[in-house]
Amino acid sequence: MKSETRHDVSPISWEGYAQLKQQGTTWFAAGLSGFLLILIGVPVAMVIIMSLRTGFPGEDLPLTLENFIEVYFNAGTYEILLNTLIFAVASISVALFFTVPLVWILMRTDIPFKKTIYVLLTVGILIPVFLRTIAWILLLSPRIGLINLWLQKLFESSSPPFNLYSITGMAFVQGVSFVPGAFFMLAAAYRSMDPSLEEAAYTSGVGKLKTFLKINIPITLPAIAAVMVYLFMTAIAVFEVPAIIGMPARILVLSSLIYNSTTPSTGLPSYGMAGAYGAIMLVLGLALASLYVRLVKQGKKYTVITGRGYRPREIALGRWKWAALAFVFFYLSIEVFIPFLVLLWASMLPYLQLPSAAALSSMTLKHYVEVPLHVGAQPFINTLILMFTVPTLTMILSVLISWVVIRTQVSFRGFLDTLAFIPHAVPGILMAVGMAYLALAYRDVFPLYGTVFIIVLAHTINWIAYGTRTTNSVMIQVHRELEEAGRVSGASSPRVLWKIVLPLIAAGVLNSWVWIGMLSYREVTMALTLYTRHNVVISTVVWQFWGSGWVPQVAALGVILILFATIVVGTVRVVLSRIGEIGEAS
Amino acid sequence: MKKMRGTVIPLLALAVAIAWVGSAQAGPLEDLVAGAKKEGAIEFYGPSTLGPDGAQALSQAFNKKYGLNIKLGYSPSGNMTRDTAKVIGLSASGVAPEWDIMVVTDAHHGSLWLRKLHKSFDYTQLGVAKERIEYDNGAVSVANQFALPAYNKKLLPAKDVPTKWEDLLDPKWKGKLGVINSTHHFARLAAGPWGEEKTTAFVKKLAEQKPILGRAGEMAQRLILGEVLISATLQDSQIHEAAESGAPLAFADAIQPVISPEYNVGVLKGAPHANVATLFTAFMASAEIQPIWKKHAGQSSAYVPGTDAYKFVQGKQVVYMKQDQAKLIDKLTRDYGKIFGFDR
Repeated sequence: MKSETRHDVSPISWEGYAQLKQQGTTWFAAGLSGFLLILIGVPVAMVIIMSLRTGFPGEDLPLTLENFIEVYFNAGTYEILLNTLIFAVASISVALFFTVPLVWILMRTDIPFKKTIYVLLTVGILIPVFLRTIAWILLLSPRIGLINLWLQKLFESSSPPFNLYSITGMAFVQGVSFVPGAFFMLAAAYRSMDPSLEEAAYTSGVGKLKTFLKINIPITLPAIAAVMVYLFMTAIAVFEVPAIIGMPARILVLSSLIYNSTTPSTGLPSYGMAGAYGAIMLVLGLALASLYVRLVKQGKKYTVITGRGYRPREIALGRWKWAALAFVFFYLSIEVFIPFLVLLWASMLPYLQLPSAAALSSMTLKHYVEVPLHVGAQPFINTLILMFTVPTLTMILSVLISWVVIRTQVSFRGFLDTLAFIPHAVPGILMAVGMAYLALAYRDVFPLYGTVFIIVLAHTINWIAYGTRTTNSVMIQVHRELEEAGRVSGASSPRVLWKIVLPLIAAGVLNSWVWIGMLSYREVTMALTLYTRHNVVISTVVWQFWGSGWVPQVAALGVILILFATIVVGTVRVVLSRIGEIGEAS
Repeated sequence: MKKMRGTVIPLLALAVAIAWVGSAQAGPLEDLVAGAKKEGAIEFYGPSTLGPDGAQALSQAFNKKYGLNIKLGYSPSGNMTRDTAKVIGLSASGVAPEWDIMVVTDAHHGSLWLRKLHKSFDYTQLGVAKERIEYDNGAVSVANQFALPAYNKKLLPAKDVPTKWEDLLDPKWKGKLGVINSTHHFARLAAGPWGEEKTTAFVKKLAEQKPILGRAGEMAQRLILGEVLISATLQDSQIHEAAESGAPLAFADAIQPVISPEYNVGVLKGAPHANVATLFTAFMASAEIQPIWKKHAGQSSAYVPGTDAYKFVQGKQVVYMKQDQAKLIDKLTRDYGKIFGFDR
């Protein structure tokens, strides 16, 4: 009788337990969705309301479609949209041309000086995009570009071979600056690639290049596609290169229009117009988010990591290592060496000059002494707060979101993923304006206006999209059997996440943590929109200097910044390397 | 006794009258000083060319003059247009401004005045000359900028330096000119000596020269590098900075009329430290700030005899902006921005 009772009760308890667990997961996912909905939805809602209003946010004016009519009934808008698409596609092409081989070379081969290259790649990220752009003006401007002048002399040509002031020129500079970001996103996927497929190819006598094209690229296609989707949205939203190269030559893209609407050269800003232009991005973003969700679904086909040990074997390059090194050196030259040398040169001049004997004789270190005194300590402290807080918050949220999206069967996980992608569809500047007015309207209960934490919040929201794309990419490749094994052993879902999933994806998460920290350090648009004199960060100081035409001072600050960030990132990498290694080895 | 009363009463009445007049004259100043002591601080927004050292020098001179110990917080301008808009936006949201006073151009103060965002005060009571006061007692003139075509002395031969505005339309400059986003420079010509029709035609022809566009600071760099041979206008702030660093920039100073935007200072409506701000505004109109402003920001007032600006304008046709031109200049600034391609 007793055994009968036990027999009757036991299955019911298991079912009940499983049901409770499922319910717990659903409730957790619902709570997370609700939190994200508020976090992302409220500033986005402010932006949408803004697009339906004229005047300034806060002014009590009726809703209107005036902005949309002005934007969408203007033929010029579509020309600019076309410019934007060409710029985005060209930038992505440049970025992928460098990124895919770089990732493969660094993650899967035995190329020498790997650690040095990795450090240099990180240093490249630390050079703010607009400083890099200035460097390229000095090199490729049709009138004064050193490379152009040199080639004209060499080939006795009357016209310069390169014109930086074109969409191609813009795409080149932007594309190169995308490479480190794309590298970090793809690196984790390549590192985790199943070597057995390559080994099979080599055993069958297939060459390295063919294996790279036929095995490596297809196997990481979801990750590459995710990177492309992400870069596409970024390319549409970036404004520094379009502002410095495009606007002087009247080459307008969508981001310049939005920037001009909120920060006009003449007159007062039209936030409503910015919102209406931003709507194009929002629609594109949502379409791409839906595309991304489909890619994630297909990702299951590419699951290659199992519990059977997955550390990939390095491929011996042999005599190809010199070609690989040359490729890496070429990339590093245009990404790091040349911009840094130009910065260094500019920082030691009383005013910006092309290299000459007179310029050499006028070199000085005075900007290095004067600039830190002018800037003070507060911007550095605020920047450090950003560099640590933003990536930590972003990655915690990203891991939780990806876990629900990739590892659970919650019915609304697609919605959650799309929700996490929405911030990338909203231009940072609009998100920041939405945040600012939210903080102003509810300043009594939400006293963040004018503090560094409002920038922390804006950055965190903005990079949830990036964080979740990375954590999605790496989580896709962790096979479910590991978690199932954990669950069969009686571990709870949080324990499985903490003990099994997290160690497996730690390397990818740490890479993203560092990368988001650096993005936060150099981000200028949102920080500029939200800054007051109490929450100044270094990027806003640099931008102010640039606006004032203090290029040598900007260059000196740039060099100091690069050293500052190299020390911070280097320290963080050393401290976290053990955790990273644990993550990789697990 | 009667005789005495007849003498004493008028004397007493005179004494009372003198005391009353005296108190009426000293009253506002004393009240402001007393109020300023209580407030103890001021948030000051000004040109970045002034720099922290210049702001501190102003602060010290101010404290010394009135026997105060006011702490001055200096916010250097990154973009006056954007920051003026920020003040307007904050006001629309019902939030107090971030700064107590703003030193921006008269065109920017025009934007504030059109939206009634000044805290007005009769500055003549504090000894400020009437001609220095603008925008219905909302702003006071501090210093004059000058805007003219500028070039690189090392790269442009003397024979090619333009001597009149129309020289900029010579086809030989096509693609080699620059235009800065301060399109209010041309709007001032339109509201003043040239009139709207002539100026608009000039602006359109200038735009056909396909100039490189940019902000003043950037344009100065492009001129120094030789990317641009002539900037259609540049401000004396850039010339001053270039001179300090040894960069070869110069004004084409044979050209007339000379455009003179003014740096005005005004107290913002809802300023948290209104007494210090009002007192500081009056102080900014005094002759003693001129050497400080000249040393750090590079300009001086054309209204104060003996200053460089005063000497510069003698015998020249100079275009000043008046408050009744604010609306037209505001409109034309945007129109010209669109013609050049800065905005849509």
